[in-house]
Amino acid sequence: MITWKLNLTNFKGIQRLQAKQSLKMQLAEKQLIYLYCVTAVSPTLKEAVKLVSNLYFVYYVDIYAIVSKVAESEFGEESLKKNMADLEWVKANASTHEKIIEQVMAEANVIPFKFGILFRTDEGLKTMLEEYSEEFKAIFRKLENKEERGVKIYCDTEKLKASVINNESEILEIENKINSSPPGKAFFLEKKKAELLAQSANAIINEYSKESFELLKELSFEARINKLLPKEVTEREDDMVLNSAFLVSKDKVDDFINMVDTLKTHYENKSFFIDCTGPWPPYNFCDLSKQKVRNA
Amino acid sequence: MHNVAIKSKEVTLLEVLDRVLNKGVVVSGDIVISVADIDLIYLGLKVLLSSVETMEQLRGAPITGPMQEPT
Repeated sequence: MITWKLNLTNFKGIQRLQAKQSLKMQLAEKQLIYLYCVTAVSPTLKEAVKLVSNLYFVYYVDIYAIVSKVAESEFGEESLKKNMADLEWVKANASTHEKIIEQVMAEANVIPFKFGILFRTDEGLKTMLEEYSEEFKAIFRKLENKEERGVKIYCDTEKLKASVINNESEILEIENKINSSPPGKAFFLEKKKAELLAQSANAIINEYSKESFELLKELSFEARINKLLPKEVTEREDDMVLNSAFLVSKDKVDDFINMVDTLKTHYENKSFFIDCTGPWPPYNFCDLSKQKVRNA
Repeated sequence: MHNVAIKSKEVTLLEVLDRVLNKGVVVSGDIVISVADIDLIYLGLKVLLSSVETMEQLRGAPITGPMQEPT
């Protein structure tokens, strides 16, 4: 009897200690729920869990949300602000975000979320799912049998200007005049020439990018034009002149790629470069009809 | 002109960042990085994001027609 009592006391003591420890751990390692994407069919996550070990899904109102537990010390509001200023951290985590979604996309249509949407509890996540479930379902109907392709066009503007000189009689005329003019007049003629060159190059850039966009748009279900990225971001020597995205029916993807190739050939030696990427998760084509703010 | 082999990896990362940070669905979570904060990444890079003005300067004239998304 005494032995038993002692053991029980010990057991209770250990239980209390364990409870204390786990509470301590919870406090030290508070976790948040990071949202990657949602799907309408049950995901296996077989490949995706290799990238992030604590990946799981939350099912609610016919929608599966693919999420993972992340440390609040890394993704909490204050830490996140700090980490977002660390380019290496952003690169690594944005890449993981993309890879997880791509793995899920291999099995089913996905609605990809923007980087950095977090919930404190599964219940909070479910509230969101309930709120948007009808909209998500409508987006899934639209995405059926379609995929996103990205098309960026770059232009070597200096090379284009150099080629313009020989094609524009007005510019050629000015150039001839410059050679036979006194320095003062030549200076103003040079300025005029530079202006005309910029105008002509600009007109060609607008015409080509518009033409390419329209031709590709005709083969697409939906098309978007996005902000151009400056050279500092692209790290290219030429200028981005079109940043576009297309939602293409799967049975038209071959036509779409053929058109890109046609444009590529057409623009070869014309100072333009076309870069086509994809299929991407449909980042550009999952707009919610209206922005809702919870608890507002 | 470009070292394609070295650049291709960077271009892919650029494509990823251009989508993951700038696009994708935004819902109200308990914590959501605001768009302004995403611009800060680029500022951290000492880079002028956004582009519309920057590109206009590069080209020397305003872009005409619907070739830019509204800001």
